[in-house]
Amino acid sequence: MSKKEEAVYTHLEGEKLPNFRSLSGIEYKEYYDRSDWNGELPPPGEYPFVRGIHRNMYRGRLWTRRQQAGFGTPEDGNQRIKYLLDVGQTGINMDADVPTQTGLDPDYPMAQASIGLEGTSLSTYEDLKTLFEGIPLDRVSSTLIIQPPHSAVIMAQYLLMAQERGIPWDKLIGTVMNCSITQYVGGTLQSNIAWFPFDLSVKIGYDLIEYITPRIPHWNIININAYNMRGTGIDAIQEAGFSMALAADYIKGLLGRGLDIDSFAHRMAFFTAADIDLFEEVAKLRAMRRIWARMLKDKFKAKNKRSMQWRTAIQTSALPLTAQQPLNNIVRATIQTLAAVLAGTQSIHTTGYDEAYALPTEESHKLSVRTQQIIAYETKAGNSADPLGGSYLVERMTDEIEERAWAIMQLIEDKGGFIQCYKDGWVEDQINEARYKHAEAIESNDKTVVGVNKFQDEDEEIKISIFRHAGDMQEKRMEYIRNYKKNRDQDSVKRTLDTIYDLTKNKPDVNIVEPIIEAVKAKATLQEIDDAMRQAFNFEMPK
Amino acid sequence: MKAAKKKRVILAKVGLDGHDNGIRIVSKWLMDGGYEVIYAGLYNTPERIIQMTIEENADAIGVSFLSGEHLFYAGKFKSLLGQKDMGHVKLIMGGVITPEDVEALKGLGVDAVFTPGTRRDVLLSKIDSIM
Repeated sequence: MSKKEEAVYTHLEGEKLPNFRSLSGIEYKEYYDRSDWNGELPPPGEYPFVRGIHRNMYRGRLWTRRQQAGFGTPEDGNQRIKYLLDVGQTGINMDADVPTQTGLDPDYPMAQASIGLEGTSLSTYEDLKTLFEGIPLDRVSSTLIIQPPHSAVIMAQYLLMAQERGIPWDKLIGTVMNCSITQYVGGTLQSNIAWFPFDLSVKIGYDLIEYITPRIPHWNIININAYNMRGTGIDAIQEAGFSMALAADYIKGLLGRGLDIDSFAHRMAFFTAADIDLFEEVAKLRAMRRIWARMLKDKFKAKNKRSMQWRTAIQTSALPLTAQQPLNNIVRATIQTLAAVLAGTQSIHTTGYDEAYALPTEESHKLSVRTQQIIAYETKAGNSADPLGGSYLVERMTDEIEERAWAIMQLIEDKGGFIQCYKDGWVEDQINEARYKHAEAIESNDKTVVGVNKFQDEDEEIKISIFRHAGDMQEKRMEYIRNYKKNRDQDSVKRTLDTIYDLTKNKPDVNIVEPIIEAVKAKATLQEIDDAMRQAFNFEMPK
Repeated sequence: MKAAKKKRVILAKVGLDGHDNGIRIVSKWLMDGGYEVIYAGLYNTPERIIQMTIEENADAIGVSFLSGEHLFYAGKFKSLLGQKDMGHVKLIMGGVITPEDVEALKGLGVDAVFTPGTRRDVLLSKIDSIM
């Protein structure tokens, strides 16, 4: 018998899983009963909101279908946004390219190769206006995926755009991600210290929150990025513990500025992952709701119920997706999306099946939206709030994840808080350990990944269509920005940038958002504004 | 048994792409597999990596990309290696790369290309075979 035949027949004789642990290593029991959980649950919509933040959940309103989108020039990005709205997406998730997220204009030499690849290339006020051309800012909510200090610049552009269109700021709906720490690649300290002074970036994040809070009442001030950390291989419990500890730091920072907890806490939201361990992910999200509620009430003395309601945007994790047999990813992402729905989350991005090769094609993007629509309209999975509530298994797991996440939070607090742990390299060490462990689990077949370490196709030929960028896109963007910088009133650019430089250097307590708005009005670019602040610190970037 | 000198590999992220999940794991695999690895971290330029290769007398350079910069940088590396008469240094690439581009990279003279889901033994035996 050949090796392959041997494998087939062995497998027929009694197919067994390699183990019965959750992705976080929690041992699933043979079955669960009253001895595992015998608690009482408040109804959905009531403290501590383990069953969801609304009594009627998706009956009142479906979750937002919010696919991240962005590539190429602002015109390219605008077309894809319109396409997604056309197929039934209900919120915008603005993805900027890496130079933008690094605070570099397209004409910075090191930026050249990355222009427009992973998101839309944005630099000037006109770029943002082009990206949002024809989009009613008061009717569709936008998440701006951009971290400090660039979040202050892009937000300034957004606010000026609203003003120019005659839309009052109190009508704007959306979120600025604005999370200094974990936005780039989750955990690598170098990504946060190479391009901008670290502490200054955190400070500008707070400046922006302070500016937005009273002026744009329906805008979320921060989205704590747990997803990017999870994507490195940390487990669900670490994801919950790390991101809640980071949120606690941000809250302390804002309280330190004299803001009242109930003035901003209900406008903080999270961005979390849904991996493929269905019940564990549901339990994690339920546990996070309870941690938040308890933390806000007991630790931060919030009075308003809304401050205690934890809200999250979900992206179905790309980590379990495979380059091998890519159509399998459709099945994975569907189950991950279901986990997000069963957990009662606020918005969902379903990751495309082709993303182990490139950005999603239009077809793949549409399929992500359709996946959510099928779950919403056909499966009835969202008809009742918290459908898994009261399940012995899910409740037991929710309790266990909550308990273990609190322990991580306590450990981090004892070490001086998450931001301190991040700067000390402790977070990166944890992440490296987790990513090696994750890789090892696949290597040793302890964790099965269909198509990778089990049920592989030999000599597989990939037949899906794959997204390609337009060949001249990068050249176009470089030329655009060079011309832009030539054709404007240089005196007012210089004057407004000098103000930013002086304030950053000499008056570090002044909120920098107004001066940034003035610089945007004067046609200063993203990098020029960032550079004014970098120079105030004599900061050198990689060249 | 003759104690062979360990081969040296410089692993690095170049340009702005900071996704370092894969390269960190590959770096551990190579070390476990008997190579001496110098991990240069994020935000390098090809020029800097070539310089480091000379200084460290390395046998191979490994770089990874998630966002599609691979063709651009493969070209840069090959031309710099050519200019400096460093044809003996192997160029290894990895990351999120389409099948079409894997062929294009090989056409440019990249010695090995690894995409997501490559298993450790496959990666190590390929690298052993080219070194």
